[in-house]
Amino acid sequence: MVGAIMASSSYSRGKLQGLARSAKSATDLPPKLHRLRNLRRNLQGEASVFPAELLPLLFDLLSDQFGAARKFVAEILGEIGLNDVELLPEIVPLFIKSLQDDTPAVVRQVIASASALFPSTLHKFALQGLHSSELDELLQSSWTWMLKFKDEICSLAFKQGNSGVKLCAIKFVQALILLYTPDPSVSLESQDFNISILRGGHPVLNIGDLSIEASQKLASLLDQLRHPAAKSLNSSTIIFLINSLSSVAKKRPAYCGRILPVLLSLDAPSFLKGVHAAAANLALKTVFLSCLECTHPAAAPWKDRLIGALKEIEGGSRAEKAEDLFYATNGSIQDKDCVEDTKFQVSVEQNSLRANSVVAESNFGRKRSGSEYNIDLNGDALTGKRSRITPSVSGESTEGLNGNSVGSLPLVTSTSTGPSNSRGVSDTGPVQQLVAMFGALVAQGEKAIGSLEILISSISADLLADVVMANMHNILLNSSSYADGTDELVMNMSIVGSDAQIKYPPSFVAGVLSLSTAFPPVAALINPHTPKTENEGEELCVHHVDQPIFPSVDAVLASGLSASSVNEEGNIELPPNVDYRGNIESGIPGLDSSAQRYVLSEAPFTSVLGSTNVEAASKNQDTSASGELLLAVIPSVSVDKSEEFSPKATGIGSYSLVSSTATSLASAPQFVLPKISAPVVNLSDEEKDSLQKLVFLRIVEAYKQVSMSGGSQLRFSLLAHLGVEFPSELDPWKMLQEHILSDYLSHEGHELTVRVLYRLYGEAEAEQDFFSSTTAASAYESFLVAVAEALRDSFPPSDKSLSKLLGDSPFLPKSVLKLLESFCCPESGDKVEKDLPSGDRVTQGLSAVWSLILTRPGIRNDCLKIALQSAVHPLEEIRMKAIRLVANKLYSLSFITQQIEEFAKDKLFSVVSCISSERGGPETLSNDCVKPVSGAGMDSSLEATSVTEAQRCLSLYFALCTKKHALFVHVFSIYKDASDPVKQAIHRQIPILVRTMGSSSELLKIIADPPNGSENLLMQVLQTLTEAAKPSLELIHTIRKLFDTRIKDVEIIFPILPFMPRDDVLRVFPHMVSLPMEKFQVALSRVLQGPSQSGPVLSPSEVLIAIHSIDPARDGIPLKQITDACNTCFAQRQTFTQQVLAGVLNQLVQQIPLPMLFMRTVLQAIGAFPALSDFIMEILSRLVSKQIWKYPKLWVGFLKCAQSTQPQSYKVLLQLPPTQLGNALTKISSLRAPLAAHASQPDIQSSLPRSTLAVLGLVPDSQGTQTSQVQASETQESQVQASETQESQVQASETQESQVQASETQESQVQASETQESQMQASETQEGQGKQQASESQEQTSPSQQVSVPLSHSETDHNQETSQVVASHSQSSPIATGRSETSQSQSSPIGAGQSEVSQTTQVSDSDPPLAPTSHTQTSDSQPDNEKMEEDTATSENERSEVDKSKESSAEEEEEE
Amino acid sequence: MRFRYAMVCSSNQNRSMEAHFLLKRQGLDVASYGTGSHVKLPGPSAREPNVYDFGTPYKQMFDELRRKDPELYKRNGILQMLKRNLNVKLAPQRWQDNAGDGVFDVVMTFEEKVFDSVLEDLNNREQSLMKTILVMNLEVKDNHEEAAIGGRLASELCQEIEGNETWEDTIDDIVAGFEKQQRRKLVYSISFY
Repeated sequence: MVGAIMASSSYSRGKLQGLARSAKSATDLPPKLHRLRNLRRNLQGEASVFPAELLPLLFDLLSDQFGAARKFVAEILGEIGLNDVELLPEIVPLFIKSLQDDTPAVVRQVIASASALFPSTLHKFALQGLHSSELDELLQSSWTWMLKFKDEICSLAFKQGNSGVKLCAIKFVQALILLYTPDPSVSLESQDFNISILRGGHPVLNIGDLSIEASQKLASLLDQLRHPAAKSLNSSTIIFLINSLSSVAKKRPAYCGRILPVLLSLDAPSFLKGVHAAAANLALKTVFLSCLECTHPAAAPWKDRLIGALKEIEGGSRAEKAEDLFYATNGSIQDKDCVEDTKFQVSVEQNSLRANSVVAESNFGRKRSGSEYNIDLNGDALTGKRSRITPSVSGESTEGLNGNSVGSLPLVTSTSTGPSNSRGVSDTGPVQQLVAMFGALVAQGEKAIGSLEILISSISADLLADVVMANMHNILLNSSSYADGTDELVMNMSIVGSDAQIKYPPSFVAGVLSLSTAFPPVAALINPHTPKTENEGEELCVHHVDQPIFPSVDAVLASGLSASSVNEEGNIELPPNVDYRGNIESGIPGLDSSAQRYVLSEAPFTSVLGSTNVEAASKNQDTSASGELLLAVIPSVSVDKSEEFSPKATGIGSYSLVSSTATSLASAPQFVLPKISAPVVNLSDEEKDSLQKLVFLRIVEAYKQVSMSGGSQLRFSLLAHLGVEFPSELDPWKMLQEHILSDYLSHEGHELTVRVLYRLYGEAEAEQDFFSSTTAASAYESFLVAVAEALRDSFPPSDKSLSKLLGDSPFLPKSVLKLLESFCCPESGDKVEKDLPSGDRVTQGLSAVWSLILTRPGIRNDCLKIALQSAVHPLEEIRMKAIRLVANKLYSLSFITQQIEEFAKDKLFSVVSCISSERGGPETLSNDCVKPVSGAGMDSSLEATSVTEAQRCLSLYFALCTKKHALFVHVFSIYKDASDPVKQAIHRQIPILVRTMGSSSELLKIIADPPNGSENLLMQVLQTLTEAAKPSLELIHTIRKLFDTRIKDVEIIFPILPFMPRDDVLRVFPHMVSLPMEKFQVALSRVLQGPSQSGPVLSPSEVLIAIHSIDPARDGIPLKQITDACNTCFAQRQTFTQQVLAGVLNQLVQQIPLPMLFMRTVLQAIGAFPALSDFIMEILSRLVSKQIWKYPKLWVGFLKCAQSTQPQSYKVLLQLPPTQLGNALTKISSLRAPLAAHASQPDIQSSLPRSTLAVLGLVPDSQGTQTSQVQASETQESQVQASETQESQVQASETQESQVQASETQESQVQASETQESQMQASETQEGQGKQQASESQEQTSPSQQVSVPLSHSETDHNQETSQVVASHSQSSPIATGRSETSQSQSSPIGAGQSEVSQTTQVSDSDPPLAPTSHTQTSDSQPDNEKMEEDTATSENERSEVDKSKESSAEEEEEE
Repeated sequence: MRFRYAMVCSSNQNRSMEAHFLLKRQGLDVASYGTGSHVKLPGPSAREPNVYDFGTPYKQMFDELRRKDPELYKRNGILQMLKRNLNVKLAPQRWQDNAGDGVFDVVMTFEEKVFDSVLEDLNNREQSLMKTILVMNLEVKDNHEEAAIGGRLASELCQEIEGNETWEDTIDDIVAGFEKQQRRKLVYSISFY
């Protein structure tokens, strides 16, 4: 057996060693730790003695390379040392060495081991020393080592180093201090080690020395916190020092006197910068609070300062709490005025052995016990002290009562055990404090003698004297309440108001008293008629409306209880419901003197005041039973003073006897009974609820009276508060809501709701616990939503209540915003239709949103979102309202402008990307895209929806554009990429938009530089701009510039055409002609229309002339376009009337050269207006005189014209020179016969020259020579003319004006040669200017004049002038003159006829030309020249034809 | 360093559990407690909280409240909270009864009252292990939103502490940095096991 043990032991030893060795040899940390753990487990499991041979191995391991391993070994060694004190001398030196370890964790472990080793060693050492005078040597050396170890560790605590180590060391020091000082809370018999056992005498250890060392260590710790040292500490150390010291102070209250001053003077913020001051302050606060609870006398003197310091720390916030705590600790409420009471108490308390602070703190006893016994009219804190008397009494008299009464007053019993020995400190006065302190010390008996002495020696003599004096008061009472005087006192007290003393044994009286000194059933017992009295009293007391209700409820409870308790006594049978009845309605009687008599019996129903009345009344009856004014007596009568007891008792006693004998209620209503307290009766939950509900409803229903009396504010607050307090089953909010909504206006619903909301909001926001705030928040939300919804449903949208409510509520939860949103953006269309006045609803919602945005920055964004959503609502009505709000009101608010703009822009851009992609395919539909369209396959519906969709998204932006024109540019920029529906939508809105905007500078800027692709849009904008009003010069200028520089499309200027200067219009006219017919028509109408005030830019005739003046080659416009333009004009017969045409032709015919299309126009004119034929004849004859045959193309036209106008044209034809006539007749042979017939009329034939007749075949051809002569002379002439004009060409440099009208005087010159036509033109230039003016004046005078044939008169005048100019012109040139002379000389050999002709020419040159008739005369006078002329003409014709072949060929084609 | 963390609020429901949840998700060694005498959850009114004993499983509370008034408890977020909690651990635990749970290195509290209770409790325990414990208080209002914020802050703070070998030397800087960065007050104290 033994061997087996030995074997297992040796086996395990070997195993342990093996483990240790393998641990040592392990090179990695984890296996090493694992083995060490195994080793430790084995060691712990090993019951036997530790194998000493293992130690060296472990010591080796203590210097292991791994810190963790060292730490673990230190732990193991610590455990070994704990088990085997003998090994300590070996272990501790190594530990001391390890204190220098680099790894803080190892050091900490060593300290931790030390803190376990040191007490255990001390314990063993002390015990051994106590029991035997001989000390084990090994133990002694262990102890010596431990002391060294301790010193080392302590030094660590006071020097700089690793915080963790330092904290541990400080902790060690703290433990040491506690270890070295006796624990006052642990009795000697306790199992725990207490240093006080050393008092028994120890050979080595001396309790005094140890205390001194503890004190020194404490001093060191304190020094660390003193000023200079503290600065070098980090805050964690400081905090821990504070904590540590506080725990010392708590556990060794004797040190409070040393520790507290240091802590109190610790001005944390002065050395702790910033953030950590809070932590230090908090630590201090905790210390102070705990010290306040400390009951040790050493702490007492500091309490005021502690409170002050706490106040400082807390900024007063929790100082009150501290004070409360302080006073609660002391078991009563302070009352400086009642010194005597305090004395009394102190004396009582001196009898109780131990303070039971817990009970003392339960100040709820104050009220109950106070009402039970209190006689203080002012209802102040006296009550708390009074109560203490009762318990001690009742405790001793309980046996006289049955258990019920005791049970019903648990407080009383509890207080009886609880008088605190510190209670005496309740008065702040130093004397009272000291008295209390002495009391406490004395209460501790012998133990405290030392402290008492210290206390006495530390206070001044004067103060001590005061204390003694103050204490004198207690002496008498002390004796009476203590010891066997109890019964007497009790009886004295119980006498009050009753003859119980006589009838009942003292113990019972005491019991009654303890239950309550005033007891209605007792009164009833004495006087069985009490209930009736009560009734009377009730009647009287109904008037006491100003009394609060609750006290009476208390009283009910009190009576209920008292009745029952007395019932158990078997002395009385009083149905409790009587009491109820008596009390529910009654207020508190007692103040009313007239009711005094009746009230007295009701005393139990009253609370504090009532109890006084009992006193007072009893006194009252002493002096006079007739019912003096109670008020005179009321000034408090102290029951405590025993000397007052007896007289009163006698008086009351006598009275009671009287009252008890009274048989008639009326005659003897006066009786006084001791009053009873109002114990709590627990109502069932249902009863409570119904009571509360009734109360609530009553307040709710009282609105009329309340509002009349002006207390509605109070009522609101009350309701709100009650609502919060009530349990939710009652659903006070529901009741309140019903009330509010039943008549919102007259019930001041708004005010009440807001009050409720604020109350709830405050509840929810208060820094309270989780559930109350959550509950309040949800109640808040549902209340607000319920009211808001009800308002919505019951009031018309025009009502402002809802928005006022929203504006006044402290906070708008999401659900309310949702409600608002449902106003502004109704979900679906059909719903809206159902709800008819939805439009107003929207207005209401929007205006609410608006005001919220203005007044509630907090929810501004949410509200804005609602408004913006509404602004893109699918329903136009809603959208428009919202847009009006956003654009007109909100957009101007600088703080949200940006947001609104962003939103609108997003919508604008989304509409482009979205709708275009939508068209591309439904699968590319993006999320933010407008609502998907019904069927993807139905293109038309898609289109339509898209347009409205686009409009939906664009409207807001357009509205913003009107506010900020610069935004408009984005519309231009998206336009290019926009899909058709979007474009359509844009075009629809542009007119309104642009009209609103007007031509502002921003808009002009945009117009000046439109993005590519936006031309159509630009056109519309321009059109709109010019439609409404006369465009500004800037606008016109901008457009002109744009046309000149960027956009060549002439259409761009259409809108401003009517407003452009005439010249500009004429300049761009060719561009207009080149447009397609329809567009030209538009342009034409614009040009002709003009701005209303100043008339058309161009008159119709000017238009026609402009058309005619277009040169296809020069302007690059196909002839076809020009003719089309002409046709267009002719088509508009209303505009281009007969008169207009006549005027135009009249002007055109004067042009040199004649416009290419002239004859065509003439023909058209005839076709259109046959009535013009006479006028046309006139034109034709003028053409004859202009030698129309020289313009081959026109000649053809002429002939056509002549043909179509026969027979009127005969006359003209006959005016043709014979050659040309012949030419004409050959070209149109059908003319010959009718013409000849016409000419053969005698009167005509006679006027015709012979040559003409010859051509017609009416006379034989005989005068050829003559004709040729004439012709020759003409040729010469023309040559002269040619040379002349060449020179004049030099002179006349200006060639611009093409509208030169040929003068008749020139005709002769022109006739000279076709080749000269251009030169002629040139020579005429100068005159042309004059003529132009003339023609203008002509125009202005009247077009009709031009038309009439006789107009030639006026023309003649012109021509006179012109020719004069020409004459002078030619004269001014010497060369020309010379030439003409030459020609004359040359012509002379030819013949007289020739000279005649030349003369005539000269005449015609110099003299005023004759009227057209004179031409005929002239030609008449040249019959002989005809033939020659014909020849040359022909030859020249041919030549010119060659020259002009190209042109003419083209023209002829045209003609055909 | 692998520290052990404890998150403590009064009922071990909202703030501490939020923080527990977050820290656990980050892989920290964390537990959570309440210091109140009971677990209180909002009831239909302020007067009628739902009171449970510590140790009542979250699941049970969840089922019970869902049966009582799903609407109400969904609205005030209690059910969601309980659901979160029951995935974190079984039941609320009381700090004062946690002696068996081993030692903690860092305790985070979310209310000064709780902080005081934890310190008081630690002081009342037998301090023989010579093991420091850091108790920090971060004031967090007891509602869901603030709890989420507080939980995040707590987890950040703990992560920072976790980055150190020991907290004793660095705690001042960590706290100062935290206060500066978050603009929230953080107080701490040191106690011993």
